[in-house]
Amino acid sequence: MRILDLTIKDLRQLVRDWKTALFLVIMPILFTLLFGFAFGGFGGGAQDPRLPVGFIDQDRSSSSASLLRLLDQSGTLRPVLLEGQEADPERAERKVQAGDLAAVVIVPASYGDRLLAGEMIPLRVLLDESEPAGLTARREIQTAALRLAGAAEIARLSAQAYEAQARFADGLARRQFLAEAVDRAIQAWQEPPLTMLKTESKAMEANPIMQSGFSHASPSMMVQFSIAGLIGAATILVSERKSRALRRLLTTAISRPQIILGHYLAMFLMIIIQFVILIAFGQLLGVPYLRQPLAVALVMAATAAWTAALGLLIGVLAKTEEQTIIYSLIPMFVLSGVGGAWVPLEFTSQTFQTIGHLLPTAWAMDGFENLVIRGLGIESVLQPVAIMSAYAVGLFALAAWRFRFE
Amino acid sequence: MNGQPAIQVRDLHKRFGDLHAVKGISFTVPAGQIFSLLGPNGAGKSTTISILSCLLQPTSGDALVMGHSVQREPMAVKAAIGVVPQEIALYEDLSARENLDFWGKMVGLRGAALRQRVDEVLEIIGLADRQKGRVAKFSGGMKRRLNIGIALLHRPQVIIMDEPTVGIDPQTRRNILDSVKELNRQGMTVLYTTHYMEEAQELSDQIAIMDQGRIIAQGTHQDLVQIVGELDRVDLTLNALPDWVTDRWQQIPGVQKVIVGAPSHPQATDGERTVTLLVDDSNLVLPRLFESATQAGVRITSVTIQEPNLEAVFLHLTGRALRDE
Repeated sequence: MRILDLTIKDLRQLVRDWKTALFLVIMPILFTLLFGFAFGGFGGGAQDPRLPVGFIDQDRSSSSASLLRLLDQSGTLRPVLLEGQEADPERAERKVQAGDLAAVVIVPASYGDRLLAGEMIPLRVLLDESEPAGLTARREIQTAALRLAGAAEIARLSAQAYEAQARFADGLARRQFLAEAVDRAIQAWQEPPLTMLKTESKAMEANPIMQSGFSHASPSMMVQFSIAGLIGAATILVSERKSRALRRLLTTAISRPQIILGHYLAMFLMIIIQFVILIAFGQLLGVPYLRQPLAVALVMAATAAWTAALGLLIGVLAKTEEQTIIYSLIPMFVLSGVGGAWVPLEFTSQTFQTIGHLLPTAWAMDGFENLVIRGLGIESVLQPVAIMSAYAVGLFALAAWRFRFE
Repeated sequence: MNGQPAIQVRDLHKRFGDLHAVKGISFTVPAGQIFSLLGPNGAGKSTTISILSCLLQPTSGDALVMGHSVQREPMAVKAAIGVVPQEIALYEDLSARENLDFWGKMVGLRGAALRQRVDEVLEIIGLADRQKGRVAKFSGGMKRRLNIGIALLHRPQVIIMDEPTVGIDPQTRRNILDSVKELNRQGMTVLYTTHYMEEAQELSDQIAIMDQGRIIAQGTHQDLVQIVGELDRVDLTLNALPDWVTDRWQQIPGVQKVIVGAPSHPQATDGERTVTLLVDDSNLVLPRLFESATQAGVRITSVTIQEPNLEAVFLHLTGRALRDE
């Protein structure tokens, strides 16, 4: 019971300190919004990331339509069909100069006919070669144009082979044959013998927001600011030691282990309360924490367990209130930066990922992201929870060993 | 109380590595008395108090509080004592009532009993009308009163006060001394440590003078003053002090002890020297002192004569002054 009395006293002190609300709730919410928007939150993640390329079709043939499809399928370019006044090349060029378009492809009239006749017809491309986007666009446009030219050559040879045995009824029939042959050639090109399939879980399909920036920003800021929130809790411990109240506690009926546990429990509960608030906020942003509530609770508890133990250690090692700030912010930056709270570890090198997973933050991020980004089940968090629990035990043992009452 | 002493200390030793902080002290505090441990900083008072408060384990020896050993029955000892530390050991961001509530729970009070006792203590320490105020906004005196109030929550039989008047203003100090007397009138045994001999003199039924880990004298105020007999203490301030002058003073009949540069006299300024003498009769000795000083060309700039007191006892026993430490 005395443990809880001490815990409640600590929590009461924390609530009185305006810095607690700042570090525990306000800053993580602001940074979640900031990083969420930066990584494409509120649908930004669903936005097409490909380079926009203007497409002015002066030919309006099946070949120009094929070229448009090839560009669209490039994976890098997003063709934007320019029509009406927008199709004015000068106007389109101004858009390139303004950076609204990476390039503009102008398909000249009779492009299709001449291509199928075996002529190499140059496309007019407007782009800024001093821009990386322009260079990328040029390379992709060249590839698409060469692929179309190859398909047209195959179609032409096929028509010749056909004509060697039979005759087309008329010119229209020949053009239809050639158009179909071009499409088949392009289609054959797109169906290589080896096919890589990318599958996504049904949970991901059901909730497209999982791909949004908040799915990473929400758990990452939660983990990061749980460490920042330790400043207040550790300061209480330091102040208690400095005022000799901690020493005075030893003259009462509470024992040393109870004092350590009481302070630890206060930090643990403080972080749990912080997580509940931030998870509710994340849920409002569409991060699907409640899809696996039990698994989220496990990750939350394990993360709070090691973070609270770290807070206890900071309170033990720091001699002054100023030191608690330094001792909290340094691990916050290191653990967050290297542990994947700022940049997902999947985007880093294998070596960096290995180093990152030496830190508990990486396992906390794995646990949360397995649930809210990868759409996995409770079994996916068991390993992260086990490893974080081991960290919690180690850090707590270290803090208890070094605990000073004066 | 069944005639049982409140505190019995038996051949208590405490070592911190090479430092022998308490060197085999023994004393007994009868129930209902105020007992002072008087001595300079570093004498071993706080270490002794820490052992009696179960904060430190003795290296050897033992201490009994209300018959309970600090080594074998620390929880029983804690239940019997209320400790008032030298520092303001409070939570400044909590209110006076919240502090008392918390500390009350730490000593095992709950529910209605806790609320009632907190109300009583708030009345005793005169903070009932400020009970909801944050301690951080209290004056030093109010904090001191609350610091004492916390020790009273569980109605302890023994109050241990570790230099509670260090660094406070005279008015607060007066309040604390009055509080100690009042607690004692209510039947509490008080163990009080101080390096102010006036406090020990005013408060104590018995005094133990400590120096360098030992008790060098013990008894009532009258007992201790008897050690220096009827000696007067004479403090002199001089503009210079050749060695041969103090040698000559030592030869004067009636001069028992000459201590150079001991307690700094309030009127001494830079370049001046102070000398303290313990003499049989200051009226007879003073003219001879002035005569010798005149012959040596030394000017005596101030003279203070004191009746025998605990300071003189400490000076007599150690050759050093309490306040020099």
